[in-house]
Amino acid sequence: MNTIIYLDNASTTPTDKRVIKKMLPFFSENFANPATKWTSSLSKLVDEEVEQARLNIAKLLGADPDEIFFTSGGTESDNTALKGIAFKHHDRGNEIISIPIEHEAVLKSLETLEGFGFKIKFARVDSKGFVDPEEIKRLITKKTILVSIMHANNEIGTIEPIEEIGKICRERDIYFHTDAVQTVGHIPINVKSFNVDLLSLSAHKFYGPKGVGAIYVRKGVKVKPFMDGGGQEKGIRSGTLNTTGIIGLGEAARLASEEMEQTESDVKKMRDLLWDKIQKQIPKVYLNGAEIDSRLSNNLNIIIKGIRNEPLLVALNERGVIAGGGSACAAGSKYPSHVLKSIGVKDNDIFGALRITIGKFNKIEYVDYVVQSLNEIVNSLRDLSPFWEGE
Amino acid sequence: MYPKIIIEHFMHPKNVGRLENPSNIGTYETLSKAKAVFYFLIEDDIVKDIKYQVAGCPYAIAVGSILSEYAKGKRIFELAKINKKFLEKYFPVDEDKEECINLPLRAFLNGLSKI
Repeated sequence: MNTIIYLDNASTTPTDKRVIKKMLPFFSENFANPATKWTSSLSKLVDEEVEQARLNIAKLLGADPDEIFFTSGGTESDNTALKGIAFKHHDRGNEIISIPIEHEAVLKSLETLEGFGFKIKFARVDSKGFVDPEEIKRLITKKTILVSIMHANNEIGTIEPIEEIGKICRERDIYFHTDAVQTVGHIPINVKSFNVDLLSLSAHKFYGPKGVGAIYVRKGVKVKPFMDGGGQEKGIRSGTLNTTGIIGLGEAARLASEEMEQTESDVKKMRDLLWDKIQKQIPKVYLNGAEIDSRLSNNLNIIIKGIRNEPLLVALNERGVIAGGGSACAAGSKYPSHVLKSIGVKDNDIFGALRITIGKFNKIEYVDYVVQSLNEIVNSLRDLSPFWEGE
Repeated sequence: MYPKIIIEHFMHPKNVGRLENPSNIGTYETLSKAKAVFYFLIEDDIVKDIKYQVAGCPYAIAVGSILSEYAKGKRIFELAKINKKFLEKYFPVDEDKEECINLPLRAFLNGLSKI
């Protein structure tokens, strides 16, 4: 098969051609810097498109446009939220609450903040990856200034009880950040009903370009800027705007608003069919994380007993199927997935985890080919494995 | 991505499995639970038959295949000299993959010494 079947959409998605079309004129036809909109008609035109992009994102999140600030992506948004709140409001307290299955952008930022004297408290997650809002409540003290809980996990797709946590934080006047990189453009979000103060998103996770994202900062919430410079984005994010990227992000957001429901249902159908066939054809395969219906519709994270995921991924790649491992894995890998570890998956099994994430450009008719390839590869790897004792 | 010879051996590994009555078994396991096992049938200091199993990365699987192919019919004192340099004749040994290569190599050498 010459076609590439890309099933690693949680890692990144292909940019929608309609998004690229929208971006193209702003590279060389209208390349102006929107900062000079008062004196240049060219800039004014770019500025209008940038503001339209802001509006599109605001609509997608149920926010006001002046609460949206453009960044270089999810990592920068997470850094801005955590460090921005911590350094601005350290006089109110020094405790931050999070969970151990956050993305590295959050975990490493917290590690840095720990070095500055902040106290980081982690709430436990259960074997499905869910955090209990009651535990967040228990961890909160008078010194707590920020709670950061991801909307959905990037490896296992568990959707956290954000609304309840948001409510708890709002009642106690504690800032609440959510990393929604995996959910924006995929499932409905409303920052107002979620009681979110800060939210991170990234364009390339929902068919926009790489290198651009945004942070929602609720009106009235002050953050210390991450970068010093010309004061763009109301001082929250200095630096000439990535106009083409932002316009692409805006278009991706517009398309998501219109098409999300249909995409979600198509993706779920393919994911469910895939899981159904895998279970029927391959013995000793188990789901990691939440039940199939209470996780992101695009996500399948499975343990395949007796084998390691790296040879599996390479062999799938040889057959034109690209999937994810959920962990960097070599024979001598020292980095098993922190997410799977946190939900109690055994080391031996972590190294056999396979993450398949469906996207809107995947075709459901490829499911049979994927399952057949997977089945054949798993069989030969099991023959090779000293850990495999048969069914 | 991997060198061509690694992909070839990885996709079509030779001598996979266990021997019914091995005279020697060599194993090695890493902290991250990757494991390699070699089964030897050695008679008069000559490797008459060999099979192996690896739960590890494509490098480990391919190196196991290369070693098993090379070892058949060879004298064990010759095989005991095999090291990383020997493997470099087959493919460039990337620093990142050294541990993956070590895994089957150590299991292989462990099997030779248990006589």
